[in-house]
Amino acid sequence: MGEFWEFVLAPVLIFESWRFGMEVAISGLLAGVMYSLVALGFVLIYKASGMFNFAQGVLVLFAALNLAGFIGLGVPIPLAILLTIGIMILFAIVVEYLILRHLVNQEQIILFMATIGLAFFLSAFGETIWGSDVKKLDVGIPQGRFEPFGIQIQYLELTAGAVAAALVTVLAIFFSKTKIGRALRAVADDHQAALSVGINLRTIWIIVWAVSGIVALVAGTMWGAKSGVQFSLSEIALKALPVLILGGFESIPGAIIGGLIIGLGEKLAEVGWGPYVGGAIEDWFAYILAMVFLVFRPQGLFGEKIIERV
Amino acid sequence: MKHAERTFGDTLLKVDNITLRFGGVKAITDVSFEIREKQIFAIIGPNGAGKTSMLNVINGFYHPQEGTITYKGNPRHQMKPHEAAETGIARTFQNVALFRGMSTLDNVMTGRLLKMSGPSMRYYHNKLANMPVINYLTYPAMWFGDFLLDSLYWGPYQKEEVAHRKAAEEVIDFLEIQSIRRTPVGRLPYGLQKRVELGRALAMEPDLLLLDEPMAGMNLEEKEDMCRFVIDVNDEFGTTIALIEHDMGVVMDISDHVVVLNYGRKISEGTPAVVQADQDVIDAYLGVAHEEDLIET
Amino acid sequence: MFYREAGQFYTSYAKDQGIFQLRQDKYGLWGILFIAFIVVPVGLYLLVQGGLMAASTKDYLYNSIFLLLLVNSMAALGLNILTGYCGQISLGTAAFMGVGAFTAFKFSTGLNYRIQHEDDAGELVSQLVPLLPAIDNPILLVLIAGFVTAIVGVIFGLPSLRIKGFYLAVATLAAQFFLVWCFSRVEWLYDYVSSSTIQIPPLKLFGLVVTGSETVMRDGQAVTIYPAAETKYLICLSLVVFFAFIAKNMVRGRIGRAWMAIRDMDIAAQLIGIRPLATKLLAFAVSSFFCGMAGAMSLIFYLGALEGAEAFNINESFSVLFMVIIGGLGSITGSFLGAAFITLIPIFLVVSLPWLGGQFGIPVDAAVVEHFQFMIFGALIIIFLIMEPLGLARLWQIGKERLRQWPFPY
Repeated sequence: MGEFWEFVLAPVLIFESWRFGMEVAISGLLAGVMYSLVALGFVLIYKASGMFNFAQGVLVLFAALNLAGFIGLGVPIPLAILLTIGIMILFAIVVEYLILRHLVNQEQIILFMATIGLAFFLSAFGETIWGSDVKKLDVGIPQGRFEPFGIQIQYLELTAGAVAAALVTVLAIFFSKTKIGRALRAVADDHQAALSVGINLRTIWIIVWAVSGIVALVAGTMWGAKSGVQFSLSEIALKALPVLILGGFESIPGAIIGGLIIGLGEKLAEVGWGPYVGGAIEDWFAYILAMVFLVFRPQGLFGEKIIERV
Repeated sequence: MKHAERTFGDTLLKVDNITLRFGGVKAITDVSFEIREKQIFAIIGPNGAGKTSMLNVINGFYHPQEGTITYKGNPRHQMKPHEAAETGIARTFQNVALFRGMSTLDNVMTGRLLKMSGPSMRYYHNKLANMPVINYLTYPAMWFGDFLLDSLYWGPYQKEEVAHRKAAEEVIDFLEIQSIRRTPVGRLPYGLQKRVELGRALAMEPDLLLLDEPMAGMNLEEKEDMCRFVIDVNDEFGTTIALIEHDMGVVMDISDHVVVLNYGRKISEGTPAVVQADQDVIDAYLGVAHEEDLIET
Repeated sequence: MFYREAGQFYTSYAKDQGIFQLRQDKYGLWGILFIAFIVVPVGLYLLVQGGLMAASTKDYLYNSIFLLLLVNSMAALGLNILTGYCGQISLGTAAFMGVGAFTAFKFSTGLNYRIQHEDDAGELVSQLVPLLPAIDNPILLVLIAGFVTAIVGVIFGLPSLRIKGFYLAVATLAAQFFLVWCFSRVEWLYDYVSSSTIQIPPLKLFGLVVTGSETVMRDGQAVTIYPAAETKYLICLSLVVFFAFIAKNMVRGRIGRAWMAIRDMDIAAQLIGIRPLATKLLAFAVSSFFCGMAGAMSLIFYLGALEGAEAFNINESFSVLFMVIIGGLGSITGSFLGAAFITLIPIFLVVSLPWLGGQFGIPVDAAVVEHFQFMIFGALIIIFLIMEPLGLARLWQIGKERLRQWPFPY
């Protein structure tokens, strides 16, 4: 095999040592689960309000900061979690009251830019209150790893997978079985029609922001337990954007599968191609992958083809 | 009645057996008709009959799965909207599609873009099409030269801009919208917006003008104005006009030829008088009165 | 009373199409240019000569405020062309500025590449070989940087044919992260130095030292000449003024109308014959040209030496985006107002917050100032988008309309 093919196939050749390959793949997939968790929050808000919430990544950081902060103050873990959930709900109410209701009927791109502003505000606000040092976040997820078939797996990664599965199940039940869930779907389908049958949009927005705040808390807890709570968390969370592009903005399964593809893809690319080009290609691989993908399928894996009307 | 003595030229646009599908839904099924030069041609039909889709097919925005379109005698390949515009097809929209951030004047001037020389590679391509291959090297250079003149707003470019401003002002005069020349169109009332949109289309000096419900949502006075403009455009510039309209009074008054669509099919065609008397058309508009219903009541 | 069109009539379309509708506006602009080109340099010079201002204060004003302001204005002009006029949102501005900076660096050192060979002792010897003669004219470097960045911008603009809105925003994030990665990983870009820092070599313009220093023999003694802050300032100012004029001409002519048509209603634009891809790519090219020049100016005049991955990170992109939003999308004046606003607020906070903290006995360190700055920016963005989506430029316009009616509003 020539050098050229060795380079091109590098990500696949990792599996020559299947144990190492599997370890890389599993850690990639589980990083992907983390991305999916962040992306879920985006999808929820996008479905309910057509708002592309750039601040979701910072919401993850903010939730984790609060949780780590409370635990740092000596608050018992369950109480700290409850307090943080309370803060996320309060935050949703404040956002609706101060921002969303004033931006009704604005173009999507204006909403998008407003969430960039929100992201800036929130990250600085969180760090002003809790400080910008790296915080440990320990919520009792067992450390260490185990080795089935000689493949090393972190307990943390396993927990993250389980939590993500549980979260998606809960959300699915929430959307299909509860009254609020049905109202949310109605709003996602047609704002006007939902209004006309007496669904209160503002309440819906508060609920959906609160829910995605809680999803952000779950994501933040997982990320924080893995790599500590710090500002760079919000940049990791930006990776959820290519995940969304891949999965489509409106699809929860899309967010999960997109996350897995991105996580796996970038890990394999990093281990395979990284050494040839100086490493750290994880920084951009997901974005380039998403961009190339967009050119061929602009509506994402699960999005519907858009018919433009005039 | 005016259409009695009117004469028309050759066939300008011929639509043959067009079928358009979106997934499993058929928007247009097997529709054919001919638009002749200098005609005022109306497409009518109830809501959802496929009228707007038909216009979208004509200006290349939708691509039909079956059927052919012959324009100016040449069968048309599958073209993009801007290519259709280059062949002289202009259009207004059901829901006003003006450039809201720009003034009336700028909107009309935008309609002149195709008449301007550049900077677009198309212009040089057409200009140099029959010349030796060497010119393929020169036209990027010429393009860049023009681009620089544009960015300096100087010399030949400024002259051209003034010439087209004059043409735009003629359209503005014609439509009597001088007083709102500098107003951002977003601030104009609906009726005026429709008029500006017509102005933008007229500025293109089209051979075929497609009007999608030009009088929708207007009051009587505005409708009369708009009718006058449509007739004047047809009279003075000899522009062929295809329009969609719901106001039957207007359609019957101004059009020379009418096609009726229902559920994507052509159900009738002819002069306004013929169409008006057609039982299928009456049924489509009023719903079919079933015999048994009548008996019961 | 004094600011109105009464008595000003135009008798030709050419005159009516001028940049200014009002004579007073024209005088206003000449006044501002007069202040910027003459009053500021001469005034500051006289202040220092007269002992009213320390020379270091003057240099601080030029090097830390005016030059930054000009660099930011250029970048804001560039992004405004793309986002404000053509409606294509970009989160990769900083990366394009970086391309400009690195281009300027490579051309100023003659596009070095490295040759490695083993010497007799078997040790690896590296040698830098220039491909071209080094260019030492700063203006030429800035222009070359603009052209190269325009090409890169077009490449990253290609997806804009298929995708719109925030999908495109994510695609431009790809440019941001990929290019910034290149700035710290592609050794050729920074001449293989281990710190991945680039430093601009000495440049001269019309015999004046612009960067670095020059040692000349004068009266038998070696004298080192350092660049005057005024030189850098005036070169930057000229560049910015000239290209602002270019930008204004583009947006008021057919090119700008095509951009705005695509921005306002892309379907209608296509149906009147505008080619979407060509028009968008032209916007990407012109916008990147400006951003590239801004990056090159930042390296040559403002920073002198920089580390690509740090100087052009994503926060820089956001900061330019904020300038455009706060200043006014789709306004040349707005680009300047926004750049001034976003540039001056941090400087104001750095000075005022520690003082304010001192009044209440609260220690204020750099991190706190930075957080405040972020919070203020974030809040301002939201407030502007809610209250006045067209930014400071619109407020300025409303102010002018009021002034035109004053003192008889009816």
